[in-house]
Amino acid sequence: MKKPILTALRAGLIACSVCHLLCHAGPPEATSRALKCPRCGATLHSRKPDSIARTWALVIAACIFYIPANVLPMTTVTSLGMVQSDTIMSGVIYFVQSGSWPIALIIFIASVFVPLLKLGILGYLLVSVQLRSHYRPKDRTRLYLITEAVGRWSMLDIFVVTILVALVNLGALATIQAGPAALHFAAVVVITMVAAMSFDPRLIWDAKEKRHE
Amino acid sequence: MSNQPSPDAGFPEVPAAAVKTRRSRFSLVWVVPVVAALIGGWLVVKAFTEKGPQVTITFKSAEGLEAGKTRVKFKDVEIGLVEEIRIGDDASHVVVKSQLIKEAERFISENTRFWVVRARVSASAIYGLGTVFSGAYIDIDPGKPGKPARSFAGLEEPPVVTTGLPGRHFILESERRGSLEIGAPIYYRQIRAGEVVAYNLSEDGTKIISKVFVNAPYHQFVRNSTRFWSASGVDLKLDATGITLETESLVSILVGGIAFDSIDGDSEREKEAPEDSAFKLFPSHEAAKQKIYSAKNHFVLFFDESVRGLGVGASVEFRGIPIGQVVDIKPEFDLKLNKAKIPVIVAAEPERISFIGQLPDGVTRETIADHLIERGFRAQLRTGNLLTGQLYIALDLFPDAKPARMVRGGRYGYPEFPTIPTQLEEIGSKVTRLVAKIDKIPIEQIGNDLRDTMQGAKRIANSPVLIETVKSLNAAVKELQALTAELRTRTAPEVTATLQQAQRSLSAAESSLAADSPQLYRVKAALDEIAGAARSLRLLTEFLEAHPESLLRGKGSEK
Repeated sequence: MKKPILTALRAGLIACSVCHLLCHAGPPEATSRALKCPRCGATLHSRKPDSIARTWALVIAACIFYIPANVLPMTTVTSLGMVQSDTIMSGVIYFVQSGSWPIALIIFIASVFVPLLKLGILGYLLVSVQLRSHYRPKDRTRLYLITEAVGRWSMLDIFVVTILVALVNLGALATIQAGPAALHFAAVVVITMVAAMSFDPRLIWDAKEKRHE
Repeated sequence: MSNQPSPDAGFPEVPAAAVKTRRSRFSLVWVVPVVAALIGGWLVVKAFTEKGPQVTITFKSAEGLEAGKTRVKFKDVEIGLVEEIRIGDDASHVVVKSQLIKEAERFISENTRFWVVRARVSASAIYGLGTVFSGAYIDIDPGKPGKPARSFAGLEEPPVVTTGLPGRHFILESERRGSLEIGAPIYYRQIRAGEVVAYNLSEDGTKIISKVFVNAPYHQFVRNSTRFWSASGVDLKLDATGITLETESLVSILVGGIAFDSIDGDSEREKEAPEDSAFKLFPSHEAAKQKIYSAKNHFVLFFDESVRGLGVGASVEFRGIPIGQVVDIKPEFDLKLNKAKIPVIVAAEPERISFIGQLPDGVTRETIADHLIERGFRAQLRTGNLLTGQLYIALDLFPDAKPARMVRGGRYGYPEFPTIPTQLEEIGSKVTRLVAKIDKIPIEQIGNDLRDTMQGAKRIANSPVLIETVKSLNAAVKELQALTAELRTRTAPEVTATLQQAQRSLSAAESSLAADSPQLYRVKAALDEIAGAARSLRLLTEFLEAHPESLLRGKGSEK
């Protein structure tokens, strides 16, 4: 058994997240009280407040939005009177069938795989933190970093759609319109990004520190 | 922060955090999933409530249809989408499954008709040109309200008339279809007033039953007495007024057409014909214009003479007005009497003849034929066309005819109408006329003239002048004889001698001019000499030109 390492929490210290001033949090039982930075006045938190609850709420919301994002049409292409609506997966299947493997892969990774991966990772992290798991905290932290890093790339699909809608507007000849799925998909991406931000990775390690006490 | 943190105790330099009044424990972040759940739930509810009826339609072929793309439209408003196309169980048709919107539920019933709209080109019009680019779509006609249904048999051809179109259907009966097509136009005074909706053979196979639709407001002009006639093609007529070309429209030339009009003048008072009234379709305008005589009486006429030139369909005329026609002709031979008779069956329309005045007692319209026969009414074969020898049957009054009666209940089941043989009087009168003409020729006069001419000729022949002339002519002939004799004895030998001399000199000239004659050879030699002399003279002159001094000094020796 190693000796428990000194953490700011144990030392009764707290850093302001805005001006980074280090200050006394008072006795640990007093941490339930709301503290504010004596210098800049920002609220002080030893850990992100309600991190798990907030992240859960956002992950659930993202999961709900993910369903219409995949079921409803993403784009509606009107070409010479022919109206064709495509969902994300039908687009992927179309590119696979037409032999454009790279494009299909990009769309699949950016629009299907990454959002699912993020939701999966966040869900796993939340569950593991709530169960106070000690299982490979380093790898779990790495997973969290991946989530944060990769999150914004899911917006790729939305960007493509918006560019296409703006570019292909040739009246009766060809028009592309964004479908209702675009809005839901954007909501999924934004909400998962916020969820990743609201998760406090320090909680992964807290379970380990608690055990040392 | 100059102080180093110490692991032992607190950090006196570190300021204590200020205490803030606590906000409510409820985290607003839960609003996000609640909103998401509301939106998701709303979408689900919407999807379920807006889900309309799913219908299956069978077609012969799915040409132009595509699952997930082909639309179902009503009045060009999209009301559904084809979801699935599969081959029917017996592989004779395709089953198209379509999802319709909720609103469609109101008008989909068992009477609803479905058909595929494709680009179609027919002689009268081009339809569905828009589908060339947008692809085919399924159109519907809701039809009358009825029991709800979810499976339908699709039409292969678009229906000509859809529900809600004001107008009336009528049924036309004709013997032949002609060039009538579905969709062929119907004209009322050359205005397009409707279309042929369908045609089919009657159950007994003797008639063509066509169903036509006449649009409002023209349907009110279809009355019980209205005549329909086939206006297909061109009607070219040549008569006393010149050439008449009659046609309804260019389209009707191509696809056929029907025209209708009220023929009788008093039709304005008649009631409009109700829906699905049946009419006879006349083959031409001419036929439609004719009065229809429903009553037809058949008679059999026996002729003893040849009926060569009389055919079935030949007209039966009363003083030039056709009142019937020949229906049948068959020869028969009476073995007992050893006599041939030709019965001709005719169908007459006695209504064509109107009678003026009171009918005699005991005579009705039915028995008037007997009454007329007593007065001398007879049938007779007459030549209608001198060139072709065509015959027709003429009915006329022959007051001098032998008395005869209408014989009923004969072999043919028709009353026997008495006939009268073709009159020879006409021929007789012609002969008389000919004789009269011959009579008029002044034969006596011609004889007298002839005799006078002969007498004049005799006088000339016997006159003394003529004798004298003949005598002097004789003397002249004698003189001529003497002259020829002298010519023969004296002049002829001299001429012969001269000719012989000329022949001799000519042959001498010929010999001297022959190719191998010595004269010619000598001439050739002399010419050669002259040529040589000329050459040496040319050489001399050339030399003298070059050496003019040689004239003085001589030629000089060559060194």
